[in-house]
Amino acid sequence: MLRNYLKVAMRYLVRHKGYTIINILGLAVGITCCILIMLFVKSEWSYDKFHSKSDRLYRAWVKEKYQKEDFIDITTPVVMAPTLQSNFPEIESTCRVAAFNSIFKSGVTSFNENLRMVDSTFFRVFDFELIKGDRKNPFPTSNSIILTEKLAKKYFGNSDPVGKSIELQMSLDTVVFSVSGIAKEAPVESSIRYTALIPFSNAKSYFSKNAMRSWFNINPETYVLLGKGVNPKQLEAKFPSMLKQQLGADYKPGNYIINLQPMTTIHLDASLPDQGIENISNPKYSYILLTIGFLILFIACINFITLSLGRSTSRAMEVGVRKVLGAERRQIIRQFWGEAILLTLVSVVIGIIFAAVFVKPFNTLINRELVLRPDLFFIGFCLLLIVIIGMIAGIYPALILSSFKPVEVLKGKLKLSNNSSIFRKSLITGQFVVSIAMIVCTLVIGQQMNYLQNKDLGYGKEQVVVVSTHKPVSKGMPLAELFRNELQKIPQVASASVALYSMAQTPWIDLGYTDDKKIYRTFQFNAVDPQFIPTMKIQMVQGRNFSADNASDATTAMVVNESLVKQYGWKDAIGKKLPGKFEQQIIGVMKDFNYESLHTKIQPLVLVIKPDSVYRRIENINVAAPRQPRISVRMKAGSITANIAMLKQAWKKVAGEQEFDYTFLDENIAAQYEQEKRTSTIVKLASGLSIFIACMGLFGLATLAVVRRTKEIGIRKVLGASTQSIVSLISKEFITLVVLAAIIAFPLAWMFLNKWLGDFAYRIDINWWVFILAAFIAIVITLLTVGFQAIKAALSNPVKSLRTE
Amino acid sequence: MIELQHIYKWINSGGNRTFLLKDINLSIAEGDFISIMGPSGSGKSTLLNVMGMLDEPSEGQYVFMGDDVFKMKEKQRSNLYKQHIGFVFQAYHLIDELTVYENIETPLLYQDIKGAERKAIVADMLDRFQIVGKKDLFPAQLSGGQQQLVGVARALVAKPKLLLADEPTGNLNSKQGEEIMELFKKINEEDGVTIVQVTHSEKNAAYGSRIIHLLDGRIESTQ
Repeated sequence: MLRNYLKVAMRYLVRHKGYTIINILGLAVGITCCILIMLFVKSEWSYDKFHSKSDRLYRAWVKEKYQKEDFIDITTPVVMAPTLQSNFPEIESTCRVAAFNSIFKSGVTSFNENLRMVDSTFFRVFDFELIKGDRKNPFPTSNSIILTEKLAKKYFGNSDPVGKSIELQMSLDTVVFSVSGIAKEAPVESSIRYTALIPFSNAKSYFSKNAMRSWFNINPETYVLLGKGVNPKQLEAKFPSMLKQQLGADYKPGNYIINLQPMTTIHLDASLPDQGIENISNPKYSYILLTIGFLILFIACINFITLSLGRSTSRAMEVGVRKVLGAERRQIIRQFWGEAILLTLVSVVIGIIFAAVFVKPFNTLINRELVLRPDLFFIGFCLLLIVIIGMIAGIYPALILSSFKPVEVLKGKLKLSNNSSIFRKSLITGQFVVSIAMIVCTLVIGQQMNYLQNKDLGYGKEQVVVVSTHKPVSKGMPLAELFRNELQKIPQVASASVALYSMAQTPWIDLGYTDDKKIYRTFQFNAVDPQFIPTMKIQMVQGRNFSADNASDATTAMVVNESLVKQYGWKDAIGKKLPGKFEQQIIGVMKDFNYESLHTKIQPLVLVIKPDSVYRRIENINVAAPRQPRISVRMKAGSITANIAMLKQAWKKVAGEQEFDYTFLDENIAAQYEQEKRTSTIVKLASGLSIFIACMGLFGLATLAVVRRTKEIGIRKVLGASTQSIVSLISKEFITLVVLAAIIAFPLAWMFLNKWLGDFAYRIDINWWVFILAAFIAIVITLLTVGFQAIKAALSNPVKSLRTE
Repeated sequence: MIELQHIYKWINSGGNRTFLLKDINLSIAEGDFISIMGPSGSGKSTLLNVMGMLDEPSEGQYVFMGDDVFKMKEKQRSNLYKQHIGFVFQAYHLIDELTVYENIETPLLYQDIKGAERKAIVADMLDRFQIVGKKDLFPAQLSGGQQQLVGVARALVAKPKLLLADEPTGNLNSKQGEEIMELFKKINEEDGVTIVQVTHSEKNAAYGSRIIHLLDGRIESTQ
């Protein structure tokens, strides 16, 4: 029986090649998208689950309340972990992770490396793999260091690195570390990453004395391993009494709360700010991708259903005969369902091949390293796809075809009921709703991306090279200034400026203070030199820039932006001081500029030359990025490589061995929209694919419609209908559906886009003509697809089509 | 074997009731060879379909081999049908995607007959109809007469007691038609299969032992 079905199915598929190719190709493309998206989503959702104790691992974070404002800190005080450990027996273990940059040197090899300082519990709490070394005691001394294989190879080549020494630049001194182990790199799905690990006992050399004791100075991430069966909520409830004891006079109920975040939720928890050591991911992108995968598959399934319905008249005869020969309805249902599943099976196989081919470009697209592995999960997923798609795609043909009465079918009396034609039309409309909505999204997202790239940011972003010193202020400032002075001798350099933070490097410092009227105010802050404003081509609207000739500007002057003036409600800001206790007078007002990405609104901003006196006057400081002076260099036009070589030479003069680390400002700015750029590309591809699949289906349907209406067309032609009128007769049926689909698609697309654009403080308005354009595109594509068949039908000889009766 | 009593079939169109069959009373014994004749629209095919359980009358009683057909459950009726009735059509209605062999095999599949037995039965059938050489061909590769031969073989493969034929020679030329009729006669006489055929041709009708004339859904005469 099964063999008989299989034979019929295979022969049917081979005989109707066009129909089979449309179905299989459409489904295969849909399945390819699904597999790739599944890989991505699976990776996103499995973060940190590889730790065997992941169900008991939490990351502590702090919610501070200050003057009615909430501050959320993902990085925590140095003292938190030991205090928690000694106060609560429920806590089995803790591990702190702090991130630093340091210059490594072994022999002549020297680079700036990213470094993690961790507690010695690191390999007991987490499941990271240690290739060489002792998991229980990974750091025999304070000067032990563990490297990843890659880093070990970089410094020691192929020789065994264990026991070898490497020099690290620790804030002021050079310290010699001895390699005590080799760790495997953290899996892709890990919220903790590392290339080199040193023990936390080195904290003294990195943190100030105050930072080592204070509960208000934040630095490492604190991970907590709870005992078996400990309820984190109950434990959290016990923290306040401990904090009251620790903070003493600083403690007020509710102003300092320690929370526990399950480690496995870290990666996708967008409710907390993305200020931890590693970036988190917004689950929104998983959802967008899932939706896209689902929609493409939906369109392919609809093709399957509508095409089988279109063919049902020819298939009906077989059903009638089979019933006369004794087939029961359920046997017919099984046959058609089996056929759908067979087709899906073939599509899945092709889909897997496509996925294997396209996983690389997809990785580039989403910036991942996903691997297509035929593990149990993957096989299960494919089986599930086969069954679900086969079931959905086959359900309607199976149920409809099996319901035919043999007497009617065999007499040729069969007509698909009106219901089924409405059903078919709504399916096609559904396809177009998706396609048109995607076209609208592609257009609008493209416009916004264009806007982001071309908006006047209020400063000049072209031909600026940013050089990092990678040194704290005390050492970085002198180095930066030396470098700047060196640069000024080079004719190709238009100007150069030293500042704590450069443009597009966000966030700058957030400061908060209470003014004389007891109002809590915040502003953003950067320390710059007098060359900053001219180098960045920032416009002044009032007053003047800092003057290099006026030494007192360094301590008594500040330049602010328009937003600050507006916030304080001043008409003339020049000569004013910030209400409160600041010494600096405002000497100039800059036109607002977007130093941050266009996701954020421009905040009040203060620039000074020497920041120390400002720090002394404020109550709150939020430093998210390390304060390491940077030099911004505006080049004159010329060869990039030659210019960079010149800068490098100047750097070598002042910094010696230290690596020359530079970026281009315009690239830094573009990097802020990396995620959006990816979304834009993905939506573009998805809408292309969905339109392609929908068009294949449409082409098939148009072919069937022409076959179905051959006789009608013949009669009309005999009665004198023109070619034109016949083409429009066939096309009209489909165009009506497209117009209807457009009307449904518009609000859906608008809702999605409004939400997406909501992420930007600076955004375009959605234009009405975008919708019209999308509908127009859809109509043109439909006409091209259907028109071919329609014209063929209109040109055919009516005598032939009428003789068949 | 077949007992039809007061069979009516009508359709309602508008307010009018159009009768397709009107008070048909007919009894057919096992081994009979009946020809049904009549002009187009007189209800011949409808009557055949009612006998073949493909169509239900609006009123009346149908007793097939002692069972009241319209009082049976769907499942039982389907079983009864599968075991005892074979159909031959004017347009052959072979399944295009199946070979001659597979077409003949299909009814056996629906009766859950085991593979080896199936093979034997089909081989026997091919032999008897002398179409062994054509068993791997598809219907489109056969002439009309050959196709109808396969149609008859398929109808008989499950050894039915009753063979219903709706204008079996309607699409054939006279020589091919004659062959099919001779075949029917042979089956009727040698195997004792009861045959009811609908035909337009007096010559073919004469092969039957009894001819029933229908007019406007009524039995006009029997000869």
